[in-house]
Amino acid sequence: MKRALLGLLAVLGLGLAQKTLVFGANGEPVSLEPGNITDGISIYVQRQIYDTLVDFKPGSTEVTAGLATSWFSSADGKVWTFRLRQGIRFQDGTELTAEAVKFNVERWWDPKNPTRIDAAARYEIWLELFGGFKGDPGSLLKEVQVVDKYTVRFVLTQPFPAFPAAIGSGYFGIASPSAIRKDGAKYGSPTGSAVGTGPFRLVEWRPGEQIVLERNPNYWHKGLPKMDRVVIKVIKDPAARLAALKAGTIDFTTDIPPANLKDLEADPNLQAVFRPSFNVGYLALNPAYKPLSDPRVRQAIAMAINKKAIVQGFWGKLGVTDGHFTPPSMRAFQSPKVTDYEYNPQKAKALLAEAGYPNGFDLELWYMPVSRPYFPTPKEIAEAMAADLSALGIRVRLQTKDWASYLADRKKAPGFQAYMLGWTGDYSDPQNFYDPHFACPIADLFDSAGKPLCVKELGDLLTKAATTPGLEERKRLYQQADELTFNLALRIPIVHSQPLLAKRRNVTGWTPSPLGSESFETLEKR
Amino acid sequence: MGLVPVLFGISLLVFLFLKLIPGDPAQAILGERGSPEQLQALREKLGLNRPLHVQYLTFLRNVLTGDLGVSAVSTIPVAEELKRRWPATFELALSATLVAVALGIPLGILAAVRKNSLLDTLSMSLSLLGVSIPVFWLGLLLVYLFAVNLHWLPTGGRLSTDLALDFRPITGFLVLDGLLSLKPQVVLDALRHLLLPALTLGTIPLAILTRITRGAMLEVLSQDYVRTARAKGLSERQVILKHALKNALLPVVTIVGLQFGTLLGGAILTETIFSWPGIGSYIYEGILNRDYPVVQAGVLVVATAFVLVNLLVDLSYALLDPRIQYR
Repeated sequence: MKRALLGLLAVLGLGLAQKTLVFGANGEPVSLEPGNITDGISIYVQRQIYDTLVDFKPGSTEVTAGLATSWFSSADGKVWTFRLRQGIRFQDGTELTAEAVKFNVERWWDPKNPTRIDAAARYEIWLELFGGFKGDPGSLLKEVQVVDKYTVRFVLTQPFPAFPAAIGSGYFGIASPSAIRKDGAKYGSPTGSAVGTGPFRLVEWRPGEQIVLERNPNYWHKGLPKMDRVVIKVIKDPAARLAALKAGTIDFTTDIPPANLKDLEADPNLQAVFRPSFNVGYLALNPAYKPLSDPRVRQAIAMAINKKAIVQGFWGKLGVTDGHFTPPSMRAFQSPKVTDYEYNPQKAKALLAEAGYPNGFDLELWYMPVSRPYFPTPKEIAEAMAADLSALGIRVRLQTKDWASYLADRKKAPGFQAYMLGWTGDYSDPQNFYDPHFACPIADLFDSAGKPLCVKELGDLLTKAATTPGLEERKRLYQQADELTFNLALRIPIVHSQPLLAKRRNVTGWTPSPLGSESFETLEKR
Repeated sequence: MGLVPVLFGISLLVFLFLKLIPGDPAQAILGERGSPEQLQALREKLGLNRPLHVQYLTFLRNVLTGDLGVSAVSTIPVAEELKRRWPATFELALSATLVAVALGIPLGILAAVRKNSLLDTLSMSLSLLGVSIPVFWLGLLLVYLFAVNLHWLPTGGRLSTDLALDFRPITGFLVLDGLLSLKPQVVLDALRHLLLPALTLGTIPLAILTRITRGAMLEVLSQDYVRTARAKGLSERQVILKHALKNALLPVVTIVGLQFGTLLGGAILTETIFSWPGIGSYIYEGILNRDYPVVQAGVLVVATAFVLVNLLVDLSYALLDPRIQYR
């Protein structure tokens, strides 16, 4: 009787039974088609709809079971086999099988695949993480095999120990093949569908306004998600988003400017939430410029910059500084011998004199024209560094140019003398931090002849670390790389910043992932 | 018709100005990442490899056949997106203009009639404040006062979350849609959402309109025929509203038209503060992302709307003043 009454109430639309959570998004997703885009908000929404082959422990970068319950590689590290959870259904009722996984991977990998939506140059993330598309000489993937209904195998051209972490990154949600075939070019767009196996299913996408997700009743993780519905409201302006949070229009949000931390802490209804850092903001020192070709000069610069004061001043609680190029969540791969450069202007000056520059030198320091999570206010930070360097007699001239030219020109020989930039990781492996910055040849640092720089010892070490199968051995190799990059001081890590998020106090169960997006399945509103 | 050369000129200007921006749009889209191969592939896709005149002629040919291109970022056709967004912009522009007209013209008349009175000084000072206030500041102030602290009005968007969940818009004009589908709660909710953005956006036109109306009225009120009308023994009300106002309206209508045309172009700041899914924020995003097709087509459509509104204003002169005739 009671149940019937409740049912009646629900039918009458009194909404008693529906538990809705409202998320304030800092932008509009570009697409909900996995593997085709890289922007943060698209991935965040996709994370609610799709699952990936492997998952990550809440709040960490440690790989754990996802759609696959187990996986292993061959002794040479070139063949990876994944065993899938059985009996999982996509939100359209079709079953998740090895065939379905193969279908997804081949779309991303094969440029000639007829089910690709190729309106713009996309699927670039595959190119970036896996060396190339099918037919490219650099392609890491050679073949995808269906071993049996629930076992899929990847044959690679060379050992890639980080493969599970890479294929399990948020870009590569597994979508329903029948939904993709049915929708064609509309798949993942506001007028099409987006069908995965994840905790929520897409109900409606009204561009510029909101996306409505509803609980997937057949979700394989029993008891989750805790909410019936998640509404994602697009509120681009951070001040407007904060106002909406204060007014209770939204329950939780991301991308709050660091300056608002005090405001958040002062409001009894709100709570600041920190996402563990997964980035690095660095100062690159280019050996193509003569004084910087001497490692002692680079070390002196590292020693002369008061990193602690800068990070305290510009980030406060939202940043940490250390000597590692990788963020703190990758501690296992960091050498205990590396702490940080000691801030010591006298010692730095002596080192500089030893290298033959007792009176300093002129230096062009380039700062980015745009704000990034790792450097929210590049110009002011550059000014602070320039002030520190002037104590050594280094006469800094601050430079900048438009963002596109900045990114392109640093790679044109002889490059910039010194410049600021950063990196946010794509997947949870140190390779993703080291290789783009230190593998030979380095695209944006040059030798005295104007050729892209190659530090052979480091390059060889990174190649070995990237292809060695054993985890313990890889840890050892990356710890060596950590020591080597620290001593080389080619890129001085200034900060690992923690993005600021916020929620209302009655929202619980939110554990932000360092990787940038996490499932809303454990969130609850009281 | 002067319309065609004007639009042609606009299309050429937009195209060339975009090309003047330094840097490679492909690099801007790819950001910190991007190998030379990726860059090359993207440039080819965006057609940036072809000679400038070919790019322009292709753009022009497509526009003439009704194809406004595809967004380089979202791959959604620009025409589709503009079609979806224009009701939001139109609704907001219309409301803001209504606010400006409904308050600005009476205020201007009163100020003119009671010249040098306290009311005159007050309305002139307020209108000076109105034109000088930064829109984003006013918008945020209103949000914090009426939405965050008093909880009287929503902080942004076009409909409340719970209402939007089961309401299907018909035309995209939510107030109208609420009426059509006989849902008074939707009409009310949409109006509540419109109020703050319309006030924010309407403030500058309101201030300008008050000043223009006052000036035009003062000029007319000092003319002979007004004195004659008064001498005939007409009531002051009749003199002002019937005789003076009609003649003073010409410059006022011109300004209303110009302002409305400008508002149709979308109000980037207001749309951003109130999360209003209109054309202004779309073009703004396009500029930030170097999304050429979006900016080119967006500006062209906005310019066309502006030119059309002005054409309507010109035509309305004939209605207001029989001495003006168009052949």
